[in-house]
Amino acid sequence: MSTIITNNITKRFGNTLAVDQLSFDVQPGEIFGLLGPNGAGKTTSIRMILDIFKPDSGEISVLGGPMTDEKKNRIGYLPEERGLYQDIPLHRCLTFLATLKGMPEKSIGPKLTEYLKKFDLYEARDKKVKELSKGMQQKSQLIATLLHEPELLIIDEPFSALDPVNTEMVKEILVQQRDEGKAIIMSTHQMNQVEELCDRILLINHGHQVLYGTLEEIQDQFASRDVLVSPRSALPSTIKGVTEIREKNGRYLLALEDDIEPHQVLTDLVKNGIEMSAFEVAVPPLNQIFIQVVRKQARDEDG
Amino acid sequence: MGKTWQIIKHEYTRHVREKQFLFSLLSLPGLILAMVLLFFIISLVMGDRTPIGYVDYAGVLDDPQPLEHEGTFFEPQVEFISFSSQDEAQSALDEEIIQAFYIIPETYPDSLNVELVFFDQPAGSHQSQFAQFVRKNLGMFDGLDPLVQERLQDTSFITVSNLERTRRMAQDEWIMNFMPFIAGIIFIIVVLTSGGYLLQAVVEEKENRTMEIVITSVTPNQLMTGKIIGNIGVGLTQLVIWLIFIWIALLLGGLFWPALQDISIPADFILVMVVVMIPAFVMIAAIMSAIGSTMTEMQEAQQISGMFSLLVTIPFYLVTPIINNPNGVLARVLSYFPFSAPVTLLLRMGFIEIPLGELAISVGVLIAFGVLAIWFAGRVFHMGMLRYGKKLTFKEIFRKKVQI
Repeated sequence: MSTIITNNITKRFGNTLAVDQLSFDVQPGEIFGLLGPNGAGKTTSIRMILDIFKPDSGEISVLGGPMTDEKKNRIGYLPEERGLYQDIPLHRCLTFLATLKGMPEKSIGPKLTEYLKKFDLYEARDKKVKELSKGMQQKSQLIATLLHEPELLIIDEPFSALDPVNTEMVKEILVQQRDEGKAIIMSTHQMNQVEELCDRILLINHGHQVLYGTLEEIQDQFASRDVLVSPRSALPSTIKGVTEIREKNGRYLLALEDDIEPHQVLTDLVKNGIEMSAFEVAVPPLNQIFIQVVRKQARDEDG
Repeated sequence: MGKTWQIIKHEYTRHVREKQFLFSLLSLPGLILAMVLLFFIISLVMGDRTPIGYVDYAGVLDDPQPLEHEGTFFEPQVEFISFSSQDEAQSALDEEIIQAFYIIPETYPDSLNVELVFFDQPAGSHQSQFAQFVRKNLGMFDGLDPLVQERLQDTSFITVSNLERTRRMAQDEWIMNFMPFIAGIIFIIVVLTSGGYLLQAVVEEKENRTMEIVITSVTPNQLMTGKIIGNIGVGLTQLVIWLIFIWIALLLGGLFWPALQDISIPADFILVMVVVMIPAFVMIAAIMSAIGSTMTEMQEAQQISGMFSLLVTIPFYLVTPIINNPNGVLARVLSYFPFSAPVTLLLRMGFIEIPLGELAISVGVLIAFGVLAIWFAGRVFHMGMLRYGKKLTFKEIFRKKVQI
């Protein structure tokens, strides 16, 4: 059963079309990347899923049907606009937010201690939130998102303000949550994190779908006819079926002729006795795909 | 109810645990204590207990009977010492054995004039004690019932009362007439404190961006109900603690000042206070949360809420015309205007019994405005809860369909 299904959801604010006929689904046990430039409609889509806004048209099913008060307890949300109660001690703030997610007060203590220790915040538990650094507040906010063990996690820019060590820890936690069968929607502009973590992505621009599918499918769509080779010996100056050879950091990018497939080039190189430590089809980085798609749309609209 | 209860608890404890709350809690008892201390100091300094002398040439006080009552802490009974000559009395005054002396001339029975000699004028209460002492010993009331004699010596007291005798204004009961003022001031402080906390609670959640997490955990109704009850709870805690302080102060004060023991608050006054204050409380609370939802910064929100605070205190600025004519047009109009109604009604009720019909209209208007304010707050909250940078305009509130 899909954790989230949206069917042609549309939302307008006055004359602005924020989300336009958007349909997608999110499955348990996957990290789903919700991507798009600023103002693309990501936050509005998330807010509709969370029932903060109602769509003007279309349907949303969350955890098997329309949103209910009970279901809110099964969702963990890390909003783009971070926020914690500043004037109370950290442990009281997190306890209160957990009770709002329906956790009985008695069961919060041990779980909270575990998370505080994991995030290296245990010593700071009695400090007022406003006395904590930005990174510490970010980690605290993540605890608030995870503490009640939600089945669905919706996280907006989870790595902002985190150092590399904490970024790695948060990634591990997300992968662990996914492996436990939780559904995770992650919205971020850090494309390297998307490539590393997401199983499927949805790229939206101006409120409507631009790209949707698994990371491989999308990268395949944009794959150029290039291969990357790391040879152990020198490459011949001309290779059959290759129009251009470019060197970059000891690796060679081979541009192929239109009717040549990568495996034909590989066979040819092996036949010629070229030893290689790597041979791969060049996949365009997601970052490049993102920029390419968004720019193309802008050009199309201008034109 | 579980989540609403958690919000009530959160709102209540976060304020009650703050130092700021403790300060505001102690401000009124502190003020009362300071006033009592001042009273003590003044009465100790001013209340000269040195005897008063007299030289009686008229023979009125040849064999004097002393006054029977013993005086109070603030108005102690002074001793009267007889001197046979003016010189003798003068030297006693010089030596500060007495604070002053009266000369009762031979012509007194006809002229009824006496002479008072002093360096510093004795307190008025001491002078009236001497007058009573003379009256008692003039023998004018001989043969009358002792109770009648005592009453006659006390001279006249004017008591103004309404026809039902449920409201009185008397020289010795002036404390009773302060009651409406005190009740009004307490009402204003409590309502504005709770309102201020509520305003702070709503704006703060927008300022610190917790709103988005909170509304994805609870319903707007749970949130608003929890906030309003929690913050009114803070105000009521303050009120109850203050009332306890006042009660203790009256008990302690009564030991020194018997007039305080006679204070009793009419039951209808308390009843009306409750009936008027509850909808007023809810109305102000809803307005404060509505202001909180439209504004994005605390400072701005406080400026707007200050305007409403001013409306609530209007009756105090117009206290003289209201009290001079508690059934006049001004008093009535202010009783029907929801913001000024609570304090106006309290002020009027100290002096008159407000007709039931009028009271019903005032309470009805308050309840209607309370309901309207809640509806308004709900609408504004839905529209403004996630607006961070841009505040909600009045045009938007009334023009648009609520989009959620």
